Amino acid sequence: MIDNNKIIESIEKRLMSFGEDSKTRNVGEVIRNTDGVIVASGLSKTSIGEIVHFKNGETGTVLNLDEDYVSIILLGGGEEIKEGDVVSASGQILGIDVSEELLGRVVDPLGQPLDGKPKIKKGKNMPLEKIAAGVVDREPVNTPLKTGIKAIDSMIPIGRGQRELIIGDRQTGKTAIAIDTILNQKNTKKPVLCIYVAIGQKKSTIAQVIDRLTSDGAISYSIIVAASASDPAALQYLAPYAGTAIAEYFLEKGKDVLIVHDDLTKHAWAYRQISLVLRRPAGREAYPGDVFYLHSRLLERSVKLSSENGGGSITALPIIETQANDISAYIPTNVISITDGQIYLQSDLFNAGIRPAINVGQSVSRVGTAAQTPTIKSVSGKLRLELAQFNSLAAFAQFGSELDPETQKQLDRGKRLTEILKQPQFSPLPESLEVLSIYIVTGGLADDIPQDSILKFEKELHEYARRKYSKLLETLSLGEKPTEQTLKLIKKMVDEFKKRFG
Amino acid sequence: MNKKQINRLVLESYKKNRLDKKKINRIVTLISRSDLKKYLSALKIQEKKAMLIVSTPADNPLSDEKLFRKLFPNKKIIFKNDPSLLLGMQIVDYDVIHNFTLKSSLDKIISRIEKDYD
Repeated sequence: MIDNNKIIESIEKRLMSFGEDSKTRNVGEVIRNTDGVIVASGLSKTSIGEIVHFKNGETGTVLNLDEDYVSIILLGGGEEIKEGDVVSASGQILGIDVSEELLGRVVDPLGQPLDGKPKIKKGKNMPLEKIAAGVVDREPVNTPLKTGIKAIDSMIPIGRGQRELIIGDRQTGKTAIAIDTILNQKNTKKPVLCIYVAIGQKKSTIAQVIDRLTSDGAISYSIIVAASASDPAALQYLAPYAGTAIAEYFLEKGKDVLIVHDDLTKHAWAYRQISLVLRRPAGREAYPGDVFYLHSRLLERSVKLSSENGGGSITALPIIETQANDISAYIPTNVISITDGQIYLQSDLFNAGIRPAINVGQSVSRVGTAAQTPTIKSVSGKLRLELAQFNSLAAFAQFGSELDPETQKQLDRGKRLTEILKQPQFSPLPESLEVLSIYIVTGGLADDIPQDSILKFEKELHEYARRKYSKLLETLSLGEKPTEQTLKLIKKMVDEFKKRFG
Repeated sequence: MNKKQINRLVLESYKKNRLDKKKINRIVTLISRSDLKKYLSALKIQEKKAMLIVSTPADNPLSDEKLFRKLFPNKKIIFKNDPSLLLGMQIVDYDVIHNFTLKSSLDKIISRIEKDYD
């Protein structure tokens, strides 16, 4: 509620301009209303993306401009819109009102609250569609974005400003990785604001995510933009752009933002639906010709700005759902080529109990290694190679029973590595404990621990380190390369602990 | 028939800025039913484009007629009396509405207050 003076001021302003205020409106007439798309005559002065208002209060946005008519997608239910109804252009491009108040809230792509809490006060209007920052404004990715997941932070590191795709079949833990990453931001020194964009998901799934973020205290630095499966395709199409527009508001303030697009497969479906109703020519798999541009212009807005431009960043974690592990389908290949790497989750690994089910061979981070801290770099340098060697040796070892001691040792090490990289859901680790876990295996400190006890050993060692060696953990969390002395101290601690570990 | 041909047909249906009944009668017998539909809608749009509606709350708006005829020489001008406009004038030129009325200004103030108060 605003005070009386403001209302009076507003009326005075309006009265001052009365007489010269000749307001020209551009109007049209509804010709057709089919499947959420309105075709209207007139509106000759509108532009693409402009908001239009219907007589009954509904709004829409212009998506097609033809010689005699325009096509409008509705941003709500349009059952009451009839042929002949008047539609008027607003002169405004579609945008979302963003302010700090959005933090901790659940909104739809138009900024309307969905959490039953009070309406969000007007903030800065951010356009949904915006040209991404230019080359001059950017700088290379140089700060890590910790996921708290050992396998990712050590082998497929993500940097702030990077676009890392999470790809895999259904039920392989894609959303879990994204949620863990959001939860882990509690542990980071420089805070990262998180935006979770749910596109075409079941409302129950969205509710679960909200519940998890709330119970783990992550909602205070998160915003959820939801366009569920029951929402019109137009809203599902706009959702990731709305999320990015919100992210850009905080980017302008020099903040680091993480945005999760869950998922872009459904986003492409929504866009395909709209395009087919708009009678745009269909291409491969019935997607329109500009489906690549749909995602490239969205993900290109993820950026690491230079310090002269505020130094903020938008890191994107788009999610793609594959069918039968086929990453060579149309949308997966498109998004793989747009992003700076991918985390490939495989159902076979998931079913074999390896969780997170990351296929290390096919996962890659193209720019994140530059942002990795020297601490984790020093312990995980050989990790990828050792795992790759283990995988090829394991396949080879299946054929013969007798192996030389060196090969056997490599196999044992590989098995331990696979074990140590397992991590339960919703339990992201701080960097110091990640380093500790990886070092005990790569440094050969856990060679005498039975494979099936590795995870128990790790868990109890973490507890022991927290209790007795908190200074060592502090040193490891500084991000500097561990000195000989630090490594010796780790060895001493592990030896001490082994005596207690039964 | 394609859109271009239909549009040409529409333009040909006029004689000195007025619809030619003879020509139209001939056209409607020669084209198919689906083309007739397209022709009709194109004709309707053309009619709207050629029309200018001037609404005023005054009883005798014809005093401005000369001025409008000078400003819009190729338009068919229709004057309407609408007391609900309170004061001023509204001009509808196909899909563009120029609103210089007191009613629209008051409406805008009301909606602004409602929006801000919310």
